[in-house]
Parts: sequence; structure tokens; C-alpha cells
Amino acid sequence: MLFIIITVLGLLAVLFRQTYLRFRETSAAEEKRPGALSPKAYWTWLRNRPKAVFTKESYKRAENIFRDWTANHYPGRAKWIFIGLGLSFLYQVASGLFFAVFIPRGMFGLPLLGHMGMGGLFGLSLAVLLMWRGRAYRPDKEETEIPFPQTVLFWAFAAFGLIQVATALGSMLPVFTFETQQAFIAVHRYSALAILLAALIFIDIAFIPQRRP
Amino acid sequence: MSIEAKEHRKSSQGSRHKKNGDMVPGNKTQGTCFRSTSPRILGSIILAIGFLAIGNAASPAKDQKWTGSRTTPVHQIPLKDEFNQPIIPTETYPLPFSSRTTCAPCHDYAVIQKGLHFNAAVSPQAGRPGEPWVWVDERTGTQLPLSTHSWKGMWNPKDLGLSAWDFTLLFGRHMTGGGISEPEAKDVTPESRWNVSGKIEINCMGCHNASRLQNHTEWAKQVLRQNFRWAATAASGLGEVGGMSSRLSPTWDIFDGPNPDDSEWAVVPSVKYDKTSFDTKHRAFFDLSYKPDDARCLACHSTAPAALEKFNFDEDVHTAAGIKCVSCHRHDITHNMVRGYEGEAADNPLLPAEDFTCKACHLGTESSKGKKILPGRLGAPYPRHKGIPAVHFERLACTVCHSGPLPGKEPARVRTPRANRLGIFGVANWTTEFPAIQEPVYIRDKNKKLTPHRLLWPGYWGEVKEKDIAPLKPERVLAAAGDLLFPEKSATRVLAALFNVAELEGTPALIMDGKVYEMNVDGGLDAAPYDGERGAGDLFWAVKKDGKILPLVPDFDPGNQEAAAEPEAKILKILEALTAAEAAPGKAVLGIKGFLYQIVENYLDKSEKKDPPASGPQFFWLKDGKTLPFIPDPERRTIAALTGTEQTLTESEVALVLKALGGNDHVYISAGKLFRLNKNGELVAKNHEAASPVAWPLAHQVRPARQALGVNGCTDCHSPGSDFFFGKVRGAGPLKTENVAVRSASSFMDVTKPYHFLFGLSFTVRPAFKVALFICVFVIGSLLLIVFLVVLGRFAGLIEKRR
Repeated sequence: MLFIIITVLGLLAVLFRQTYLRFRETSAAEEKRPGALSPKAYWTWLRNRPKAVFTKESYKRAENIFRDWTANHYPGRAKWIFIGLGLSFLYQVASGLFFAVFIPRGMFGLPLLGHMGMGGLFGLSLAVLLMWRGRAYRPDKEETEIPFPQTVLFWAFAAFGLIQVATALGSMLPVFTFETQQAFIAVHRYSALAILLAALIFIDIAFIPQRRP
Repeated sequence: MSIEAKEHRKSSQGSRHKKNGDMVPGNKTQGTCFRSTSPRILGSIILAIGFLAIGNAASPAKDQKWTGSRTTPVHQIPLKDEFNQPIIPTETYPLPFSSRTTCAPCHDYAVIQKGLHFNAAVSPQAGRPGEPWVWVDERTGTQLPLSTHSWKGMWNPKDLGLSAWDFTLLFGRHMTGGGISEPEAKDVTPESRWNVSGKIEINCMGCHNASRLQNHTEWAKQVLRQNFRWAATAASGLGEVGGMSSRLSPTWDIFDGPNPDDSEWAVVPSVKYDKTSFDTKHRAFFDLSYKPDDARCLACHSTAPAALEKFNFDEDVHTAAGIKCVSCHRHDITHNMVRGYEGEAADNPLLPAEDFTCKACHLGTESSKGKKILPGRLGAPYPRHKGIPAVHFERLACTVCHSGPLPGKEPARVRTPRANRLGIFGVANWTTEFPAIQEPVYIRDKNKKLTPHRLLWPGYWGEVKEKDIAPLKPERVLAAAGDLLFPEKSATRVLAALFNVAELEGTPALIMDGKVYEMNVDGGLDAAPYDGERGAGDLFWAVKKDGKILPLVPDFDPGNQEAAAEPEAKILKILEALTAAEAAPGKAVLGIKGFLYQIVENYLDKSEKKDPPASGPQFFWLKDGKTLPFIPDPERRTIAALTGTEQTLTESEVALVLKALGGNDHVYISAGKLFRLNKNGELVAKNHEAASPVAWPLAHQVRPARQALGVNGCTDCHSPGSDFFFGKVRGAGPLKTENVAVRSASSFMDVTKPYHFLFGLSFTVRPAFKVALFICVFVIGSLLLIVFLVVLGRFAGLIEKRR
């Protein structure tokens, strides 16, 4: 139950923060108008967002962002690393979150089988991606185009990814006791939440175009 | 009350009883006196006094609290009969001791009566399903699971018309006494014979007797003889009991005493006490054990694989470690015994907590009543369960991996004392092959945990009532079927008659269809392969002597008067014996080489036979001028099909019996299938809810941890061909047929079979998967370590310094 509460609160907090920042960006021009940044204005903006997001233009814009991103960072066949990571991550998040929040028994059956398989793909693509792109996020670079928060989020994603893969692997090894197994599950869940939040903020920062100059 | 005061009270009671002891029924002097006046009136008076005395004796014992003494008092105590009169073992006709009155001064019988072993019929707390009583009647192929609890698939004895009397006669052999076998006046049915047999009081000695003289076979024998009130005395070894209540007139009662006119047949039961067990004050020594020995429990509660030799059988790991059954299955004076399953405290609010589940002792737990229980009780080892994902502990009972036999291609067949009548020894074979109990079958319990179960497939004749099937009592089936269910009688009546022919100098045998059939002590047939000179399809009667098969009638020429004299003398004896056989269908005649021998006016008559001569001597029954074969073809086929197998019915027999019962509205159920006649009168089999198996969880035998399921790794269960998920459970029943239910093990588990196939398949690549994940972890971890060191270097200024 505690995990569910933390998950819901964590997601709401991140969503609120990111949407509010975006609301402030979009409302920058009208900032001086009285009530422009009021909660009411924010709520009205938020209500209209789904309409704005789920349009053909938005879909095309997302496609362009993806194409540009892969062309710039993952040229040629390397794009499959990114696709593999993205797809496996999406499945892991969807299946993990759904069963953790809505199914008291936890994950079982074919979704679990998929979760395990996709977990392997996730671990593999994350490792390759880090080898491919890790240099770009080197923390010792003096001058870099990548903003510092993005670098932190990138490595946070990698660190929580490592915990995900390691706890999954640990559960499969005939080494750890029952209590350790239980601890692994708890750690796996919380690090999954953390990696999701890190990914959400990273996507918001890195992929979605910033209007503010 | 001080010890002295108690002693004084006992001794004064003793003297009072001694005075009354002269009035003990059956006492020779007084008995005669009673009869000379008015035995019934006097009997009633004594009965009233007796009841008053019982009332006093049964009054609750005042002080049941444990004083703290770790010793068990020596039970050198005066025995009392059911009328609360002291027993003088030297008397001519002493009554058996009564636990109700003998134990009452210290132990509250009324409280004990409510205990687990005695309250099944009245207790509202049925709890987790347990082993049913199985009404087995081999002749009719009946195996009906019964229980007074409303457990799924089990029949309430009352619904089948079984009274307390019937139930006690059927199952008293393995009952503890009390409860249904000690019915109150309102539960006594007219057809019962409780007044003759007495009631079966709680048999305290059945569990608490530490003496090796405690004899379960004797108990069963006495119960079968309807010597209910004598059974405990006989079984305890305190006395020897003779006579049989079952042969007494239904009007006999205990006040009538022995029958001087019959010392052969209807002998009134009597006790000869072992006088060495008594002191001069007529106090008997009970070698009692506060904690009953395991042997006492195992007499009724045990299982043994049907295919295993005794020397090869491993006991439960707890027993091997020196833990007794009652170390966990505890109770106080209420005898409200701990069964030890998870959730028991919720089922039975009288229990303090779930202290004795596997989990409580080995892992520690917090009971449903909030009591914290530390692990390690009685030295229980703490399991680390390395490498086993936690979901296993949420979805499986401990017993799945640790108890019962390991899963095989099919579940193992086991026998239990109560179902298969084990532990009753004698010349006759008491043990029954059926019911065929199978284990382990994994079924989800009410806590949604997979639990290993024992399972049996019911077998019974039934009457279709709308959608339900109402079982028929075996006696009704027998009445309708007549001789249809006794095919071997055609052979056994002949073999039994031939035993009376002294001239045979061997054991009579029937050679038929390549087998040698001999009569066994139970009156049935035993079969062995025949490897003699005669053809496999032949039928002839023979004598087995020194392991050799000799013809019953020697080869001779009936036309040669001189040579035929000796064989004909033998033939005369044989025909005489056969004609006198039990339920002989006619007069026995013998056809040999164109001649027919028969007995006419006590002489052997030889006449020429009109039919073409047979290859060898042939016996017939002669009835109304017609000859009938000794073994008609249908009986011959049935004998050939069933002898030497555990089945007792063939499909053709079932079809005939169904016709005799009334045809279409009657069915027979066996091995998970329902058999009925179709419109053409042919036997057809189909699936039906009424044929579903009955299951109950198993808890023992617990195996050592090194022999647990999964000790070889995940693939013990998770593999495409795993016995755990994909083993077959095959229906078994008294009917010899190919039409048996076959179910996958997973069908009992409430799991998806294709998923577990896929999941099992995934384990074939699991090692490679683990290696891949390990490499990923290594790579990601290494890169993160580098990043961490770089960040650390920047914070420490080492990187700038280097630049």
C-alpha cells in the first residue's frame, strides 16, 4: 500500500512540476497580465492540453523529434538500440505499474513472462546505449551542449536501470535467502518508480522543444 | 483437598461399591436370585441405580489445572463397569471396564466428549477437509466417501440412510469411541442392537495405553463381533474377551447374563481379566502415557505407498528427529486438538493460536489473533530458501515442496488404515485394494494456496433423481443383482466341495484359459499362470500336489471293467461331494470317453452318452434332464478378466446389474465416469459431476529439506514436460474398463496450462539469459563506477589538478 501511495504521489508531483513549468513557459508572454499564472489559469490550460497533445500535428511533431534525435545521436543501425530501450522500457513501465498498483497479487502469467523477456532486452540495450552514448554525458567535460540536469538524469536512469537488472538477476540466482529475495522485490519496485520519474523528466527536458530562449 | 482426604474419599467409595458389588449383573448367586423374583423389575432398578451412579461419576472433575508436576501419576486405579460398580476380576462374570466411570473421578468425560476425535457429528467447526470414511463394499464395487462434515464431494451418512449403529458397525474398527458410537437415547434407531452390544465409550486406552499389549486387531475384532462394551477391555490387554454379541438374540441385554444353554454358538461375551494386572485391592495398573505414542496415532492416521516394501519406507522427518505426533498435535483436557494447518485458528476459535503450523515453528509468524511466534520451536531449523522467488511462499503451501511423494508421471497410489482397513491382522485378509487413494494432487485451497492433496474417485451405484445421482446402498444392489455379482461362485462351490474328498490327496484346482485357479482363505479365487501340457483354452479340474498339476480324474478306459474299478471309486466320492456342494444347481455328472457317470440311489451309475465324446473328462450339473456346464461362459469370462486383478466388476456385469436395477434411471460410477444404459441397452460412459474425485489436503510424510521439490533447481517444476504441471491423474475404480477419466495435474491447480508450458520452456534458455544479464550488469556497473570516480575526482579537484 505504501508503494502505491508513494507511486501515485511521486507521479502526480512530477507531472505537476513538469506541466506547471511548461504552463509557465507557454504563458511567458502574458506573464505580466494579472491572473495569468493563477491556479485557475493553470487548470484551464491543463484541461485543454489533451486536446492539444492528441492531434495529428502533435503526432507528426513527436515523429520528427524522434527522427531528429535518432539521426543525431543514433545514426544508421544504432537507432535500434534506442528503439529497443524505448520499447522495452515502455512495456516494463506499463506492466510493472499496472500490476503493482491495481493487482494485489502482483504480476503473474504471460505479462510476467513478457516482463522478464523485456527486462533482458532492457538490460542489454541499456548496456549498449551507455557504451554508445555514455561519452556524450561525461561529467568531466568542461564545455558541453548537454545541460547539467539532463546529464544527471541520464546517469540516474542508468543507475536505477542497473538496480533493476541486478535485482532481477539476483532473484534468479540460487544464492540469496528468502528475506533477501523479498528485499530485492521491494528494491526492484522502488527503483522502477525512480527510473520512471527520471525518464519522465529527462524526456520532458530533452525531447520536447523548449520555447523559452 | 489433600491427598489424604482424596484417598479417604476413594477408599470409602470403594467400600460402598464393594457392598453394591454383590449386585453386579451376572453374579451367579444374585443373578439366580434376580431371576427367581422378577429379573426385569430388578434390572430396571439396577439400571436406575446405575444411571444415578454414572451421573455421580460423570460429574465434572473439579480440579483439572496442571500443578506444574512433570510426572504422570501412576494409574493403579479401581476399575468400574458402566454402572459405576467396582470390578472384581476374580468374580465369575465380571463386566468390562467403562472409561466413562473408571476415569471419571479425575477426568471430565463430558468435556473430553467434545474433543476433536469424538465430536465430528456435532461440531460446527469442520475446518479444513480431512480424510473421509470410505464405505467400501468390494462385491458391489462401492467406494463412497462419507463424512458428517459438509466437505465437498463427501456424503453425509444420514443422507444415505446410515444410522449411528450402521456407521459404527462399518467403521468402528478404526473409531475412537464416543460421539456417533455412543449415541444418546434419541439417536437410537429401532433396527439397532445397542442394548445387546452396549455402546462404544471413548476408548481412552486406544491412545493413552503405553503397553505393547494394546491391540488394534483385537479392537476391530470385538467391534465386528458387536462386542462394543467389551472392545476396550479386550484391546487394552487387561482381559480376554470371548463370545459374540452379534450371535445373541436381539432381546438379550446385559442383565440377562450368560446363556447356560449355549456354549458353542450364541455365547454371551465375557471377560477373563488378567489377574496379574490387579493388586490385592483389585486396583488395576494402567500403563498410561500422557503423550500417546506415535504407534497409537498411526494405527488410524498414516499412509503407505502401495508399491513400496516396508523396509524401504522412510518415516516422516519429524518422527526421525524424535518429535512425536502429539508434540505438535496438542490439546488440553478438552481434547480440542491442534490440526496444524494455516488458518486453523480462524476455523476453530477455541484454539489459542496457530502455534504449530510449519510456518510458525520454522519461520515464526504472527497469528491471526495477534500473537507473535518466534521461529525455532522444538529446534525447528530455519529455512533460508535460497534462490526461491518470494511468490512461491505466497502461492504455495509449505507441503507442496516438502510433503508427500515427489510428483511423478502419475500420482502415487497409497493406502490408509481407515480407508483400506490396514493394521487388522489375522488369517483372513482385511486389507482392501480399494479405494485407490492417489497423492500428491495439487489443488488450490481456500487461502488460494496450492496444497498437495490425496484424492479418490468414488464408485457407487446410483439412482438418477432429476439432475442428481442418489447413491444406492450395497444391500439394495445385491438384492437386485442376485448371483450376477458372484461369478466366481460357480468355481468356488466346486472347489470347496472337492476339499471334502479325502482321496484327492492334494489341493483342488481349476485350470482354465491358461491359469490355475485355487480357492483362498477368504472364499475367493487366486490365479497363477498355468504352464502345463494342456492347451491354453482348456478348462479342466485338477489336483495340485507337491507343486504339480494332476488331473482330478485319471485317464482310464471306462469300457475296461477291471481297469476302471479304482478310478470309478474315486469318481463316486467326487460326485457325492459335488452333489452336496453349497447351492449346487443340480446333480453332478461326469462325461468321459462316451460314458456318463452319475449317482443313482447312492450307487455310481454308468451309461453310454449320446453326445460325441469330449477330449477329456467333463463335469456337468444335471437339472431337469438337461446338462449345465460347471462354469457357464459369462462367468468364465468374468473370472478370467477379474481374478488376480484389483477390479471387482466387468462392463458386462455392470450392464446386467443396471438392467436388474431398472435400466435407464440407474447408473454406476467408477474412475471418474458415469456408466448407464442407452436406448439400445448398451453400456455407455460419460463425464458427470457426480463422478468427480474427492480430495483432502495431505500434511505428512514430510521429507528432509534435501529431498524437497525444487532442490534440483527451478526445472523440477518449470519445464515443458514437468510432472508437477503436466503429470496425468488417471481415474481408478472397481470397474475393469478403458473408460476412465484422465486429467492433467494442472487442471486441478486453477492455472493456465499453455502459460506454464511457455514458462517452463523459458527455463531452457534461462542459464544463457542469466549470463547475458550478468554481462549487462557488469558493463553498466563498470561504466557507472567510472562515472562515479570521475565525479568524485571533480569534487576532489583531482581532474583539474591533472589538467
